[in-house]
Amino acid sequence: MLRQITLTINGEKATLSVPPERTLLELLKNDCHLGGIKTGCGIGECGACTIIMNGQPVNACLILAVEADGSEIRTIEGESDGEHLSDLQQAFIDFGAVQCGFCTPGVLMSARALLMRNADPTREEIIEAVSGNLCRCTGYKPIIDAIEAVARARKTGGYQATSDASAPYVGGAAKRIDGVEKVTGTAQFVHDMLLPGMLFARIKTSPHASARIVRVATEQAASMPGVRAVLVGKDLPYKVGLYMQDKDILARDCVRYQGEAVAAVAADTEVQARAACEAIEIEYDVLKPVLDVKESYSQRTQLVHEQLGEYSWMKGVFFPEPGSNIAHHQKIRKGDVGAGFSKADLVTENEFSNPPVQHVPMETHTAIAQVKVGGRVEIITSAQSPYTVRNLLCHTFGLALSNVRVRVPYVGGGFGGKAGIHLEPLVYCLSKAAKGRPVKMTCTREEEFNTMPSRQGLNSLIKTGVTKDGKITALEIRYLWDAGAYADYGVNVGRAAAYSGAGPYHIPHCKIDSLVVYTNKVFGTAYRGFGHLEVLWAIERNMDLVAKKLGMDPFEFRMRNLLRTGDTTITGEPFTDHHGRPDKCLELVASEIGWRNRKPDATGGKFSGKVRGMGVAMLHKAPAMPTFTSCSVVIKFNEDASTNLLVSGIDYGQGTYTALTQIAADELKIPMDKIRVSWDSDTDYTPYDWQTVASRLTVMGGRATIEAARDCINQIRQTASQALNVPVDSLVCENSRVFVKSNPSQGLDYRQVVMGFIYPNGNSIGGPVIGRGRYIAHGLTHLDPETGQGLPALDWTYGAHAALIEVDTETGEIEVLKIASAFDVGKVINEQQCRCQVIGGVVQGLGSALSEKFVFNKEGRFLNATLKDYKIPTAKDIPRESVALFIETPHPEGPYGARGVAEHPMISVPSVIGNALANATGIEMHEFPLDPEKVYLALKKNRRLVP
Amino acid sequence: MGIRRYENPITVNDAVALLSQEKGKTAVLAGGTDLIADIRAGISIDLVVDIKNIPELKILRWESDGTLIIGACVPVQRVAENEQIRHRYPGLATAAENLGSYQVRCRATIAGNLGNASPCADHSPALLVLNAKLRIASPQGSREVPLDGFIHDVKKTALKRGEIITAMIVPPQSAGLRSAFFKIKRIRGHDLALVNAAGAYDPEAREFRLAIGSVACKPVLVRGLEGIYQSSDTVESVGEKLTVKALSSISPIDDVRASAEYRCDMTALLCKKLARALLATKDK
Repeated sequence: MLRQITLTINGEKATLSVPPERTLLELLKNDCHLGGIKTGCGIGECGACTIIMNGQPVNACLILAVEADGSEIRTIEGESDGEHLSDLQQAFIDFGAVQCGFCTPGVLMSARALLMRNADPTREEIIEAVSGNLCRCTGYKPIIDAIEAVARARKTGGYQATSDASAPYVGGAAKRIDGVEKVTGTAQFVHDMLLPGMLFARIKTSPHASARIVRVATEQAASMPGVRAVLVGKDLPYKVGLYMQDKDILARDCVRYQGEAVAAVAADTEVQARAACEAIEIEYDVLKPVLDVKESYSQRTQLVHEQLGEYSWMKGVFFPEPGSNIAHHQKIRKGDVGAGFSKADLVTENEFSNPPVQHVPMETHTAIAQVKVGGRVEIITSAQSPYTVRNLLCHTFGLALSNVRVRVPYVGGGFGGKAGIHLEPLVYCLSKAAKGRPVKMTCTREEEFNTMPSRQGLNSLIKTGVTKDGKITALEIRYLWDAGAYADYGVNVGRAAAYSGAGPYHIPHCKIDSLVVYTNKVFGTAYRGFGHLEVLWAIERNMDLVAKKLGMDPFEFRMRNLLRTGDTTITGEPFTDHHGRPDKCLELVASEIGWRNRKPDATGGKFSGKVRGMGVAMLHKAPAMPTFTSCSVVIKFNEDASTNLLVSGIDYGQGTYTALTQIAADELKIPMDKIRVSWDSDTDYTPYDWQTVASRLTVMGGRATIEAARDCINQIRQTASQALNVPVDSLVCENSRVFVKSNPSQGLDYRQVVMGFIYPNGNSIGGPVIGRGRYIAHGLTHLDPETGQGLPALDWTYGAHAALIEVDTETGEIEVLKIASAFDVGKVINEQQCRCQVIGGVVQGLGSALSEKFVFNKEGRFLNATLKDYKIPTAKDIPRESVALFIETPHPEGPYGARGVAEHPMISVPSVIGNALANATGIEMHEFPLDPEKVYLALKKNRRLVP
Repeated sequence: MGIRRYENPITVNDAVALLSQEKGKTAVLAGGTDLIADIRAGISIDLVVDIKNIPELKILRWESDGTLIIGACVPVQRVAENEQIRHRYPGLATAAENLGSYQVRCRATIAGNLGNASPCADHSPALLVLNAKLRIASPQGSREVPLDGFIHDVKKTALKRGEIITAMIVPPQSAGLRSAFFKIKRIRGHDLALVNAAGAYDPEAREFRLAIGSVACKPVLVRGLEGIYQSSDTVESVGEKLTVKALSSISPIDDVRASAEYRCDMTALLCKKLARALLATKDK
């Protein structure tokens, strides 16, 4: 029964007919085509759909459209006057308050509503106002700063934009190039896209962690209204997988985790698709799941993959053990650990662990596919690489790559969870089954948790040999990775975290066994840090525990063991002057936090109120990627000497495109605003890039950009040399002009050259300037299967954190008073973007450190698969102070010496908090998250509380 | 799945009539912050009666005798910001400002918070210690029931078919009544209570009231507090006595949010905090 309602939306009256169950969010987004409004959870937890209704900020997902009859509604589309940005929008850009941009419209609406009701809010009131808006990228501080700046400026005539950067741009303060689209809500995400004739897909998932599929009945579902395609596992005889082809598109024969997709429907509407899914009957023979990683590792009877030996996998790189649950065994062998331990004065053993967690990108996984008659395939997806999606899709279905076009527009956060391939094969199959209609599948937040991949859990056993004077003689480590049901990226995490698995220290004798073990849980994948946050939890907590046994200051103990020029890493890579300065990172953060004033670790005694403590932790990471990965960039000049920079690496919020634009502008000698980066990466038009993972795009894409720009400059000089009748060598470029160095007045504007030079008589030479650049890492090797020796990675980024925390011993709650983080980034290309990566990454790390965890019951059911019970940090959960420090030891391969620093800020955040907690309370935690309950109960168990 | 019919009457009588005439599944819509999430999760409702267009339900008013009336459709944020409530019943105002995010508080209502009968509802303890009553409209007319006893179990209340809560009534309290509310969460941002507790203290009568949420299948109003504050007592000893009474009244469980052990210990902590908050130095 439709009902007519009247709304005033951004000042315009609209009369609409709506069914009673339609939410205001659906109405505004789908019927009124207000693309800026976003869906993040559907239950009012995330604030992505915040709009202003009758002057108040509300979650549009929790309001029925019919309820809103007669209301005045303001959305992000009404925030600017259509010509100029509002003060808040401008400030968000100026302060770096925008990264992926998916939460931005909702945050801006909360901020606007605040300023409407309170022209002069305090910082606390600002935090309160935006804390209902979850943001996974920025760490909130830049958002709060931006709103505060606008509020304070009201007394002084209004907010004035900070000035734009000028050349040279590299190292300067360039603003984000995607800022305007993101603050106005015009940046289009796959989430926002509706195509003509598009069908909506829904999946039916397994309620059991392990079961045989006995019977599937789809007849009723197939006959329901609007249903165009129904698929079950037996229809799809394919195995997919990045490194190990172990996964069905829809489960066949058996299910291996609760939440695994078993059937899928494409229908005219989401509601029809969902109803049809509910009508599919599936009968299971429920089996006992294998849930504990140690148990799964040690037994050979209950196998998650009985056919492991029959799968295909990347040979020579990964080493599964058929007949067991081991998907990969990475060995690192350096020196002779037996000899190393015999030289030690002290040998200790410690065990550490952490549960699986999730990326929680604000845009859930979403993909559209259309399989056209004639075989042409179009995919639009929220993914970290269009080329890898295309390659893996074509590999699975035997398609010609040239026939498949994959586009990636703006992406609402990835963090590794959108690397590789996820929903794309399913929507491809559904489109094919639905006679070529485009099909879109968008995960609900619950599906994002239950069905989409996570970060693996880890159990670590570390044996350390150390001399009395604090030199490590040997390390022996066993890492057991809780891969969940499928290998996906997990096997490569187990590989990469092993070759980094001793921390940034000189270890003369080292033995690491890193085992990636299947269990009946949601499967793991890449997540910002790629295993390093987990491994460095063990390593850096272990360093503090060993230091304590030695009676040595943990700063000093680290200083004595950090890698220095002349040392070799555990894979035999010589550490050189180019590698960077871990020691400087540690010194900087220790000095910033005031390490000299650190009190000794609490030992005995009892607590009643709040206690403070200080900790440090080191970190390192290199890009974890195959040896042969490459990147390319094309720069094409336009008639007016502006350019388009084409790249297929994805900027899903980290700011790389801004960095590439700065690099291109400096190299091309043109202003940044004359360069447009294609945001729609598209395998039909933008050149090859392997994947945007591993903090590699600024390095590899930066190198390719330099080469492409220099190629352009060469072409410009060639044409100009002929046009001006001067030698090429005599020509230089500056300010969009090519001219004779010794006689600057003899020259040409770029616009006279870039489409070809035309002589006065009409003759012309040259032609359009198109620059090509590419980069591939040289000299990397596979690791020796038995020893792990080799050169696995292009560049290492070293870093350190120091933290001052306060522990409420009555509740167990930890508050971070200050955290200082330093990284040797080689070269800071954009200080603001670098700093914002650190501030945001640290807060994401604090989520891991303090609250995030998957909870399963003994049947393997995932109990907290919603944002109600999986708690990520809000604006109220950030450190009181967060400081980012950079060291610039140039790397010979990096653009201007730069290294990646996207993942690193998150790594070792749990470690530094754990170390500070030990300092504050004497409690040594071996498992994170350090949530209030766990900390409190540990204090209680250790009788540290005043009764 | 979904809603078959939606009505938004403008009188209580019409609302009650609509609800009692409907044979199928009905729901009352006020703030909607729970109901619409439930509908998204898959429940089907034949008739949704939106009561927000009924003027009298939007009233927040102090009667001349000091009775506070909070209409069923008053959003939580309005209660949180009301100066008089903040001044006279800080426990209630604190509970209000601790519920959900700002956006949720702009829509959610106290009536909904109570009516959904979640054991962790923040307003249950805050209103229990104020001896609040609920005004309920039914086809037979209007009646008032004490909040104590209104909630029977998880998601179960004394409301019968066709009935709606029209207002919360806080009876007049002694002039010097003090109240406070505390909540234990997993993060500092918006979260459901692992434990929440409210206390009220009447210095004239030396009378304590204590209610705790999220520690049983329904909010617990702790009994037997008469005479708990003797002249020889200190703030600490009162806190200890409250703890003993509280722990014998609750029956927490282990769940995804917290263990029973943590809930018990936090109950004890909140009892101590309440004693500290409610007993100012001058009472010693």
